[in-house]
Parts: sequence; C-alpha cells; structure tokens
Amino acid sequence: MRRNLLLLFLFVSQLGFAQTPVKKEVVGRDVGQLKGLKISGRIIDEITGEALVGATVTVTETNLNMITDNNGTFELTLDRAEYNLQFRYVGYETIDYPIVAVGDGRISIKMLQEDFQLDDVVIFGRDPEKNIRSTDMGAITLSMNTIKELPPFLGEVDIIRSMATLPGVSQVGEASAGLNVRGGGADQNLIQFLGAPIYNPTHLFGLFTSFNADVVNDVTLYKSVIPSRYGGRGSSILDIVPKAGSVSKWGADVMLSNVSGKLSINGPIVKDKVSILGGIRGSYINWFLHAMSNPDLKNSNTNFYDGNLIISAPISDKNEFTYSFYRSYDDFSFASDTTVSWANTSHSLQWKSVLSEKLSLEALGYYTQYDYSIFNRSGINDFDLNSGIQDYGAKLFMSYQFSETNKVSFGGDFKQMKLQPGELIPTGPDEGVLPDKVQDEYGRESGLYFQQEFELGEKFGMSYGLRYDMYQYLGPRIVRDYAENQPISDGTAIGETSYGDGEQIANYNGLGPRGSLRYSFSKNSSIKVGYNRMYQFIHLISNTATIAPTDIWKLSDAFLEPQIVDQYSLGYYNNFKGNIFETSIEVYYKDIQNVVEYKDGANLIMQNHIETELVPAQGKAYGVELYVKKNLGRLTGWISYTYSRSLRRVLTPYEEEIINGGDWYPSNYDKPNEFSVIGNYKVSTNLSVSATFGYSTGRPITYPEAKFNYSGNSLAYFNRRNEQRLPDFHRLDLAVNFKLNGEGRFFDGDWTFSIINVYGRKNPFSLFFVDEFGSPPQAMRLAILGVPLPSISYAIKF
Amino acid sequence: MYKRLIYLLLLVQVSCIDPYEVTVAEGPQILTIEGTITSAAGPHTVRLTRGATYGSVFEGLIRPVTGATVIVRDELGNVTYLSENLENRGDYQSPASFSAIVGRSYTLQIQLTDGKVYSSFPEKVNNVPPIRNLTYQSERIPVEGEINDASGVSFIVDIDDPAEENNFYFWRNSPATYVLETRPDLYVDRETMSPAPKDCCAVCYKSETTGNSSFFIANDDNFNGLSTRIKAGFILDDGLRFVNTYRVDLRQLSISAEAYRFLRLVKQQTEISGSVFDPPPANIRGNMISLDNPDEVVLGYFIAAGETSQRVYINGAELDFRQNVGIIADDCRQVEGSVFDPPVDWDPGA
Repeated sequence: MRRNLLLLFLFVSQLGFAQTPVKKEVVGRDVGQLKGLKISGRIIDEITGEALVGATVTVTETNLNMITDNNGTFELTLDRAEYNLQFRYVGYETIDYPIVAVGDGRISIKMLQEDFQLDDVVIFGRDPEKNIRSTDMGAITLSMNTIKELPPFLGEVDIIRSMATLPGVSQVGEASAGLNVRGGGADQNLIQFLGAPIYNPTHLFGLFTSFNADVVNDVTLYKSVIPSRYGGRGSSILDIVPKAGSVSKWGADVMLSNVSGKLSINGPIVKDKVSILGGIRGSYINWFLHAMSNPDLKNSNTNFYDGNLIISAPISDKNEFTYSFYRSYDDFSFASDTTVSWANTSHSLQWKSVLSEKLSLEALGYYTQYDYSIFNRSGINDFDLNSGIQDYGAKLFMSYQFSETNKVSFGGDFKQMKLQPGELIPTGPDEGVLPDKVQDEYGRESGLYFQQEFELGEKFGMSYGLRYDMYQYLGPRIVRDYAENQPISDGTAIGETSYGDGEQIANYNGLGPRGSLRYSFSKNSSIKVGYNRMYQFIHLISNTATIAPTDIWKLSDAFLEPQIVDQYSLGYYNNFKGNIFETSIEVYYKDIQNVVEYKDGANLIMQNHIETELVPAQGKAYGVELYVKKNLGRLTGWISYTYSRSLRRVLTPYEEEIINGGDWYPSNYDKPNEFSVIGNYKVSTNLSVSATFGYSTGRPITYPEAKFNYSGNSLAYFNRRNEQRLPDFHRLDLAVNFKLNGEGRFFDGDWTFSIINVYGRKNPFSLFFVDEFGSPPQAMRLAILGVPLPSISYAIKF
Repeated sequence: MYKRLIYLLLLVQVSCIDPYEVTVAEGPQILTIEGTITSAAGPHTVRLTRGATYGSVFEGLIRPVTGATVIVRDELGNVTYLSENLENRGDYQSPASFSAIVGRSYTLQIQLTDGKVYSSFPEKVNNVPPIRNLTYQSERIPVEGEINDASGVSFIVDIDDPAEENNFYFWRNSPATYVLETRPDLYVDRETMSPAPKDCCAVCYKSETTGNSSFFIANDDNFNGLSTRIKAGFILDDGLRFVNTYRVDLRQLSISAEAYRFLRLVKQQTEISGSVFDPPPANIRGNMISLDNPDEVVLGYFIAAGETSQRVYINGAELDFRQNVGIIADDCRQVEGSVFDPPVDWDPGA
C-alpha cells in the first residue's frame, strides 16, 4: 500500500515536473555578430491590443530590468547567447520567454490579464520596484482591479473615494466628492478623463463618483513633483485613463445593485484594428424615494446617469487612435418647486505614435463642458438660473529616449476657457423677475514644458523639468475700477472700463520648475528629494464644504491673482521580501499664495462684482506620511498614517478684511491625524473579504462665542473662524465578494455584500447651532451615515 | 432650499440629526441693540440686552439693560428721547407722536449707567413703495417624522418697484387679533375631575404677537422697476388661529443696503441646517459702535425705515388647508390675551 502511494506520488510529481519542452525563439538575423545585439519589442494586451506602458522586462541571466515606454516598447542590448526574458505587469500574468539572441531583431509579446480566480492578488505599482528606482515622488497608480477589491459603497466601487485612503489625501466628509491633497482645496486638483478636465465628478451631491469603474483602466494621482507636462492646478493631478475594448471578441459586463445598475459592452468594429467600448450607468433610486412616507421625499425626484463611448484604433504597431466621449447627468428636484441639475460632457481624441525607435508622440484634443442649473417652479416668480463652463484645448507630448537611462520629454498645451457664472431667465407667466446675466468670462491658458530623466551611475537618478505657464484674461468685459489704497467694495468703486472682444484685461506668466533627485542605497531602498511650483488660474468660489452646483468657478483677473503653490518634499522608500512589502516615509512643506477666502457673509450667487466679496489669503501646509503596503499574497492591502496641517492667514492693509486677527488658522480641511487600513483577504478561489478602516481628527469648525437676541431669535455670535473641531472621525467598512460558479452565464457572476459603517458610529459631518422654538439654543450634530449601511450587488461578465 | 436635501440622506435611513453636547467657553456679555424707527406713527421701540454664553443647555440668561439714556438724533440736530418702558425693562420707547421723516438720516445714541457711550452710524429713511395688493394662501409644510403636514398662511404682496433707486424691503407683522372659539361646555373641574360645563364664553378676541421668527426680506436686483409679487410673511396654523377670522397688518419697510445685509446674515443663520451646502458661520456685524473703545463688539442693528402697511382679515373657511381644530375646554376669557369684546376697529367686512 505504502509502496503504491509512493509510486503514485512519484508519478504525480513527474507530472508536475514534466514540462513541455520549451521552444526557444531565435531572435534576430544572424550576421555573426557577437556583442551589442539590439533586441527590441512591444508588449500589448492580448485581448484589447492596447500597449502596456510601464511593464517590466527582466533578463533573468543578467538581472537587467527595463520598463516599457509610452508605446509599450522596450529595447535590450544583449550578447549572443540564450536568455530567459521575464515580462511582468500588474494585473497580468507574468510571462517567461526564452530566446536565443543571434542578431538585431524584434519580438512581440502579448500579455493576458490575470484572472481573479488566482489565489494571489497583486495590487498596484505596475512595476514592483518602480517606487524605489524611479525619480517619481508622490505618484500613485491604482489599477481598477485594485479599486474593485475595496468595500463598495451602495454597491459601487468609487474611484475618488478610493484615493482618499492613500496617505496625504483626504475628504471633508462623507457626502463630499472633493479631494483634499496635502492641504489643498478641492479645486486644486485637476481631474481629467482621457486628458479632458472634468469639473464636477459627482452624482447625488457627492454620494457617488460619476465615473463608471467598468470603463476605467487605471487612475494615477500625482501629489508632489508633478511632471511638467501637467499644469494649471495647485495640488494634484488625477489622471483617469479609460479602458479600450477588445479587438478580438465581443463581451459585456452587467452589474445590478439595490440603487443603481450598469452595463458595458465592448468588442471589435473592425477585427484586430478598431474596438468599441460603451458603458452606461443609471440609478433607480426614485423607486425608493416614492415609496417613502415623508411627503417631501415622496414628491422628490432624482435621476442620474453616466455614459461612456470609447473607440480605440491600434491601427498599427506604431499608431494608435483613441476617441472618448463621456457624459454624466444629475438632477434632483426638491418636493415640487426647485430642481437642481448638473452635467459634464467631454470629447477627447488622442493619437499616440512611435515616430522612430527613440522618438514618440502623443497628441490630444478635447472639448469639455460643465453645465449646472437651478430651476425654480414654485409658482411665484419662476426662473431658471443657468451656469456653465466650456473648455477646449490641445496637448502635444513628445518623448525622446537617448538611452535606457536617459529620457527627454517636451511639448506644449493650450486651453481656451469660457465661464458662464450665471444667467437668470424668468419663466413664469407673470413678469415679476428681471432677466439677469453675470458677465461671461474668457481666459486662455497655455504652457510649454521640458523634462529630462536620467541616471548618474548606479546610485543617482535625477529628473528635472521646467514649465512656462501663460495665462490671459480676455474681454469682452466691463471691469470696475476701485479707488486706490482702499478695500475693494461697492462703496469704493469709482468707475468702469470696457474691454472689447478678445482684448487682454490681465495676464500672468510664470515659470514652474520641478525636480527630483534619487539616491539608491540598494536595489530595495532609496531616498528622494523634490521640489515643484504650480500655477493655478481658476478658482472655486464656494463657501460650502463640497463641490456643489451652487459653486462658482472664477478665472483669475486683475483682482484675483493666480494661486502659486511651492512644494518641497523628501522621502525614504524601502521594499522588503522581494517587493512583497513596500514602505515609504514622505515629508512635505507647501507654501500657497493667493488662496481665496470670503468676507464674512459673502454673497456669491449672481454676483457681478465678486471681487468685493473676497479676500486673498496665504496658505501653508506640511506633513509627514507613512505608508506600508503588502503587494502579494492571500492578504494584500495597505496602512497609511499622515500627520499634516493646512493653515490659512488673511493679512491685508485693511483692518475690516483681516480674519482671526491676522493669525494663522486651520483651513476647513485641516485634519492633523489620519490613519487608514485597507485589507483584502482571499479565503478561497471564489471568496474574498475586504475591510477598510479610517480614522481622522475632526475637521475645524467655528463655535459661537456668545448668544444674543434679535427679533425673537436667539442668535450666535461668531468671531474667530475654525478654532474648534468636530469630534474625531472613524469608520469600518466590510465587504464579502463571492464568485458563483453556477450553470450558465447568468449564474456565473460575482455577488458582493457590503456594510459601510459596521459599528454604526455617528460621525458628525457638521455641528450647527440652532434656536428652535420651545428649546434653548443648542448644538446639533448631522451624521450623514449614522447607521450601518448594507448593500448588495451582482455582477456578471459575458 | 438645501435643507431638504438632508431628507434624501434620511431616505436611506442612514442620516440623523441629534443634539450634541459641546463645551463652549464662557462668552462675553455683549451689548445688543434691536431698534427700529419708521415713518409710521409711534411709539417706536429700541431694545437693549446683554448677550450670554452660547450653550447646549440654557446657560446664562439674556438680560435687559436698564437705566440707559437713549436718544435718536436726526441730521438737523433734532433730538428725541426714548424712555424706558417700566413694564418691560430694557425696552425704550419714543413718544407716540414721533415718526421718522422720509429722506432724513437718524443716529441712535446710548449712554449706559456706567457712563459708556454708544452710537449707531447714520441710517437714512428711504421712501417706501405702497403695497398694491396683498393676497394670502394656505401653505403646507411637510415635517420630518410626522404623518401630518404642518401648515399656515403665507402672504404675497404685489408691489411696483421704483426703477430709479435700489430698494431693500423688510416685511413684518403687526400684533394680530383673531376670533378664538373654545368649548366651555366641555370644562372639567380640575380638582374633582368631573364635568362642570360653563355657560360662558365660547367666542373671544385674542391678541398676539407672532410671525417674527422668520425674516422676509428682498432686494430689487432681480425686479428693479417691475411690478412683482413676493412672499412677504407666513403665520403658522396652530389649530386655533384660522378657525374663524384672523386679522393682521402686514408692514412693509424700506431699509438701507447695510440693514439688508445685516438681516440677510441673521436670516441665513436662522436657516442653517448643517448640510454640506451651508455657508460657513458669519460674524454678523451691526451698525453700532462704542465711542469709548472702538474695539468693543456691539451687536444688533438700529434700523430707520419708511413704512407702509396693509390690513388683512383672513377668513379661515376660505383656506384650502387647515389644521385640525384645537379644542380648549374652558371659558375663552381664561386664555391669555383674550377678551370678550371685539376691538373697536374690528371690521372684517371692510
């Protein structure tokens, strides 16, 4: 019996080891050359045909690592010999590719996306050692596969919310979509979808993000040493890259949850040449609204949807065209009389081309539009209030690779902006309202840039860049003149100047250097230091805590100077256990000029002279960020802790404008301690559990200093801003993902059960002070998620 | 408006608003002025109080400031003394013969018993356009957590806004009077707990001051020079007011731009709901200063305004929606502010 078992064991092990004989590909035209053979190649996704940028190529024998460039190509210089090439890319199956190099030649590699039935999950960082070796600082890419492992919110994975679990990134509260990156405001982030800026990426006032996870490939956040190709915003760039459809076969994804559903279809229009990906997502939350007993809710209506269309044409190895259309729409009508709606629309067309082995090009044109409206149908003085932004622009990015370790990129971009801050249109039968329009604003932003990345020997790597931003504020416009040496107010206006169509009213130019230096202690650890300067010519004039349809976007003009952000950062990076663990410590200091603050009780809506309501402030932010990530294994995830401060100061020559006596005070999103833990555990091939825990210091609020009576109301007297804090925030979310292996397609899907706020903490979104009849004036707490909130969703793939 | 957004969050039954204990530092007792003089007949009242610590429980009482010398001075140097109402300390009243004159500027000056002197900035009395028409209608207000809607009567004024000037409006209610119906026949003796029907009286006239907690203000930026309709008041239905007939004068005041700004901030604060759309708390600065110490904070506002008013009798039976009738099982004369005889000028038929 034993003997039989042993035999069986041997037999099985034989099976295991009995590899099929590996066929080694002979590469190159043999002209008898022995050294310096140039083997180049390109890596593409086997299904979509998309180039895989930043994949790692390792020559096992020589331990040489290469990263594929923007076109997915790489080049190796080898001696005449046999080699084993290994190709690695996050979310894809690693390929071992033995070759016999005999001469200059080319290979073409197709990689398959890793199926998530594997026990081991690899999470982001396209190249496992990239964090150590590159000169990038504060750049984080989350692949969609990673984001999908986080506990979903009401059945949806949320791109923007996921970012807030990273160090140095936070959100004001549970119903706010804006990100605060290293002490910057929500308007200091440029959110772009295939290169087109998106102004309001929210559904339902921030409960959801308006990007459909099924059409997104990956998301990259740059929070320090932002590459010089990006400009125009002070704190960060959130670059969302859509997926390409398959060029070989048709497929679809469907997901249904208790409040929304989505569908995406992709496939070849022209086989192996042109693919299409269409996605649509909508809500049916109305069913729930109408089932409510609350009459206000019963009569409320909300709709949202977003849609994407992506046409991708990798017409050759060297040229690829991508067109993307994106639209999101929301409306919400309160009880019966007021409807708020907003919509984003963008078109972009991108052309990527490999002009030569060393030179590649990326050109992009886009148009983006953001509209937001308030409709009053109360029956008295009905009106529509419409606002919007329209941008169109173009970008050119060229990159030249002198050698494997020396790369230069350069280019330019251009953007024409038109802002409509508000137009009031009477719609009622009685003519009790005057039509009114705040003057449109026109601006032009352009930039030229240059960047070089190179290595100095084994230890040092350097990246430096320069971006020259040019901005013009243009007519037609009538601009008020104010008396000199007096605060800008209605009372100090002395006249008006009229500017013609296209006439320059104000202009600002600035040189924004960026640079970083890396010193490697070993293959697994390095230290980096960086600096960057950013200019921002558009400001979000909002006195609320989130991006809302009542916000006003404002271009820099003669009164409102551009925001200038200088950031200094230093980081230490260390990977352990063959890159299974990634750790980092980063410290930063930021100096922000010309942040906008509001005068007390500023009146912003339909305000033709908004300069009278604003004061310029200085800002500074600093912090230290600790980060530990486990990339591989049954348990993956990360822990991040940030200590940071974000402060403001308003000092003007005029006493009445000074806030808090000219002292530094915390900004609305100053949350010194932030801690998050994200974990995903694969229990078995078809069951995984994920958890997110977040803790942060409460955000600053203003308490009343005293109460006083006026006209029968007990009122609060507020004096110094933001001197107290909300109670600390903490929340635990859990999700279980269960993969069904049933009969037939419809039963072969993913069930996800999640609970947000597992222990039901009433984290206050705000504290406010009310005097209600019959009780003393007191503080009230609003908790947006006050109880555990379960959700369920089912997703299938065809 | 966005107050109602919170309902959406309440919809998923996840959001909640509840009282929260906070520790607020002991606040200074800040002098507060609430005063309005208008072109209508006097007496006009200025009220002086001292603020107290803001607390989650009723910490510190707002106290009247008594014994002050209060005068109103116009730009020509005419001085009117306001004397303290001994029945309602802290209230300083002008003579009944005093009314502000349109076009003139007035300054309020106060000397406290400790000798400190305070003054307002001059406030100009602006001309007030007449109320061309006053209509009312019932309005229902859904209340969170209640099956029945609250309701009340809202007032809508028609005005012809003058084109040549920038106008700021402020609407207030005069003290009101209504026919109060009670059920003396259902009276129960409090000691024996047995029915003890009374013969009189089932119908009285009750006077009350109401409608001051909301602020109805407007500026003519959106209707300059137009004939327009504006909601100018609201009185809550408590189940008694609109059973029979309700009488109130709607007062229309033309105020200064600065007074409008002050009232707008006060209104904004009373409407805060804690939602993401709330504006941040604002320091509500008034128009009073200390002449002894310019850094001393003085709260409140002295308003000088042109006034016009319109009387309205509301016939409850004509309202589209009313609350269930509240039953007071007693002689109606037992209700505070209620008398058997109608006011001498009671004339619902007018």
